Amino acid sequence: MNRRVRRWFFLICACAIFGLFVSAVRQMPTFGHYRGPYGDILNRETVYERHITDVVTAVNFDWRGIDTLGEESILFLSVIGTLVLLRKPSSEVNDSHDENDTADKRKGREIPLPSAATRVATLGLVGPLVVFGLYIVAHGHLTPGGGFQGGVILATAPLLVYLAGDLKSFKRIANHETVQIGEALGLLGFLILGLPGMIRGGAYLRNVLPLGTSGHVFSGGMIAPINVCTGVAVSAGLVAVTYVFLEHTLETRLRGRR
Amino acid sequence: MLVLQATILIFVAITATAVVFTRQPVRQVVGLSFYGIILGLLFFILQAPDVALSQITIGAVALPLMFMLSLAKIRRDAEERKRREESEHRREAA
Amino acid sequence: MNPLVPLPLLIPLAAAFLLGLLNKRCPRWFADSIAILAASATGVVSLILMHESALRPIVYWYGAWTPRSGIALGVDFYVDPFSAGLAAFVCLLALASFIFSLHYFDSVGNLFHVLMLGFIAAMCGFSLSGDLFNLFVYFELMSVAAFALCGYKTEEPSTQQGAINFAVLNTIGAFLALLGLGMFYARTGALNLAQIGRTLGHDSGVLVVTSFVFVMCGLLVKAAAFPFHFWLADAHAVAPTPVCVLFSGIMVELGVYAVARVYWSLMDGALAPHRSALTGVLLVVGTMTALLGACMCFAQRHIKRLLAFSTISHTGLLIIGFALLKPGALAGAALYLIGHGAAKGALFLVAGILLHRCGSIDEAHLYGRGRKMPWTGAVFVLGGFGLVGLIPFGTFAGEHAIEFIAERNHQGWLDIVFFLAVTITAAAVFRVYARVFLGRGTRLSSGARLKTVDERRETSGPHNHVPAVMFLPAFALGLLAIAAGCIPGETHAVLTAACAFADHAGYQARVLEGAFLPIQAVASEHAPLLSSVLRSLGATLAAIALAVFAISPAWDRGRIYSRPFARSMAFIRRLHSGRVGDYVAYFAFGVAAIGIALAFLIAS
Repeated sequence: MNRRVRRWFFLICACAIFGLFVSAVRQMPTFGHYRGPYGDILNRETVYERHITDVVTAVNFDWRGIDTLGEESILFLSVIGTLVLLRKPSSEVNDSHDENDTADKRKGREIPLPSAATRVATLGLVGPLVVFGLYIVAHGHLTPGGGFQGGVILATAPLLVYLAGDLKSFKRIANHETVQIGEALGLLGFLILGLPGMIRGGAYLRNVLPLGTSGHVFSGGMIAPINVCTGVAVSAGLVAVTYVFLEHTLETRLRGRR
Repeated sequence: MLVLQATILIFVAITATAVVFTRQPVRQVVGLSFYGIILGLLFFILQAPDVALSQITIGAVALPLMFMLSLAKIRRDAEERKRREESEHRREAA
Repeated sequence: MNPLVPLPLLIPLAAAFLLGLLNKRCPRWFADSIAILAASATGVVSLILMHESALRPIVYWYGAWTPRSGIALGVDFYVDPFSAGLAAFVCLLALASFIFSLHYFDSVGNLFHVLMLGFIAAMCGFSLSGDLFNLFVYFELMSVAAFALCGYKTEEPSTQQGAINFAVLNTIGAFLALLGLGMFYARTGALNLAQIGRTLGHDSGVLVVTSFVFVMCGLLVKAAAFPFHFWLADAHAVAPTPVCVLFSGIMVELGVYAVARVYWSLMDGALAPHRSALTGVLLVVGTMTALLGACMCFAQRHIKRLLAFSTISHTGLLIIGFALLKPGALAGAALYLIGHGAAKGALFLVAGILLHRCGSIDEAHLYGRGRKMPWTGAVFVLGGFGLVGLIPFGTFAGEHAIEFIAERNHQGWLDIVFFLAVTITAAAVFRVYARVFLGRGTRLSSGARLKTVDERRETSGPHNHVPAVMFLPAFALGLLAIAAGCIPGETHAVLTAACAFADHAGYQARVLEGAFLPIQAVASEHAPLLSSVLRSLGATLAAIALAVFAISPAWDRGRIYSRPFARSMAFIRRLHSGRVGDYVAYFAFGVAAIGIALAFLIAS
């Protein structure tokens, strides 16, 4: 098919799908009206059942915790997949290191050194960002947020270090091995946290910890520890992917700096 | 409230269309990030702060970041390949 | 609750995380043994579950959130002989792949094992899950692992192209399924399959039908049904051989299984008066898939591509088995799935051995080079017989059951579809056997080496013999393909399980009320065996004849004269352009056609 035929063919089919979709949407409940009992029950029951104040977190880590395990595995496998797909072909391992002139330099582009303003701003942000990320992770069961969101925020901290031009520190923080261990440990932690419920005769991921008082940091039973594991896994996973992408650039730049 | 929702929805439509019709990848990624923030706002206005937070962290930060990194890598790989081809060419010529 | 139920998901996941944790710090043999151990343990657990659920399906609620007053709160795994059996079959094929790959390419810090184990966990979870969103999660997990495994040999641009086609098409399918899932949620406010089914009742409005079409099309992308099948051949041609075994043997088939599961648990109440509409649409899809796959299969000389198209063809037959919407045909499809999966696994492993020994996978290039490997060749022929459905094979039992139901429902023409599909695909396999392992027949012009044949060896070490760890899994799978059809009492047990599978109201009662509903034993009707035997023998002979004809000089002479045939083949080949934009356009066409046809048929 050439481009034009393909475009028209696709457009006609897409219009047909869209027509079907629109006629289907017209039968949906009107905007802002919720029909099912599921959400109502969860809204009503969660605070009594789990002593936590954020129902969404309870859905993610308790009512439907097994979904979250699956989703984290998706993240884990994506990271592993990226590592596999971006690995250096065995033929290039040796000859890629002898390049004294990087592509950047050769084209007359100097390796950009961040300005003092950037350095101050970014490095100054690292501390608050880490605290904020930890806060989001630790208060997942009390306020909006949780391991996923907090994990991403935490993962941006090393990136700020990179932006500040402190490549050595970035390399030290985001070192492959350490990060991967962190990710796998976070996931293993999640998986293991589900086991006691199974051993004590209930089912996998059943709560075994005391529930505490709702509104306190130590409440909600296993939701908080699972949240922390998720935060570790997510932040580590994201850092790992970023590092793989930046690794090559990093190597050449670090050599150039010396 | 309804006015606010309608406004945001229109903004979502505009930014989404803009992302689709941007042909240059890097600009598209920036647009995508902007679109992510607008979408986060929409969720926030629809009283889903949890989802909004996820949307902003993932849709506005992590996803564009991945795209940016991939684009950078593709560009660097292309440059490297070109350089290698050139050097081979030079070697052959010599 | 039965503590074994979550294990088919947890064991491989735990093993994957563990190997991810150890990564390069553990030696290769350790990773191998962990992987093999995990796969066998999961397989054993699944077999036990299959046995335990034979009398009464097990419903397992994660977090012990059992339904309250008939409303599901958590996520459940629904274990019946079908789902547990599929999980066991996944593990079996995975075990064969792991053993085969003992001798295989140098793994990158054992990450290959991590991906494979994640893939196994995803497929086990996918077969066991009883929740629509949970199903989607495993769908995604499976896809992510599969993309990475498919692009594993990153050195070649063709590999990346194949993996990208695979990823793009499957991701679009997943988005569509997610959209349909959201629409179901908007309509019913539930995610549990049984719960949605109960809330829908007999509503067959446009919303419900469209949601179902979206979910179904998303799953059919995985099942490689026409016109969503285009990614499959590209992906198989480039994926490492042990991965192909899992792709072809079970992953694709799981797509059909999921459609069946979603239909029977969720839509059967709504669509019960309109079954003939769904049957009609799916029969067209299945027939097209079967015939197109068969034609393309015969036209290939890249052996992996050939086998991949044969998988498409046989998946089409599976779709036909489901499309009849009868428990009997469903039982047949289940038998067919096992028989075909084992045979196809054996064939792919032989292809892997050829690649190992001869460093090529091109039929022309390999001419006569398999003559020193008579036993390997024997396994290849065994696989061919499995494809054609010769009498003791599992495929025969399945085909027999499906055709019986088809004839009873006045769909006798399906016999012809079956006959053509199995004959042509098997003939292609026999043709390859004759050329490669016997060194007989005309030579293909090997001067122009195929573009796709720049395969590198996937193995290290000496290549002058076939190592036992490569041959034995292939041989075992070949034997399994036979065994799948000769276990006494098997047909009856499968039929009983299929009746429970297709029991819409019973499923809801079991899941939502925890009702103690033992599976009712069904009196199996004895189909006339003789005609089926004759048909199977006929198909085998026809396949051999076609293969002999294809390697005779007459074929080359004849091909020039039959212009219309050549022209239509050229057209079909042009459709498989390898450009992902085209594939997406076909995808849109498929969704639109299926959706409009179904909506129209149901509304009228």
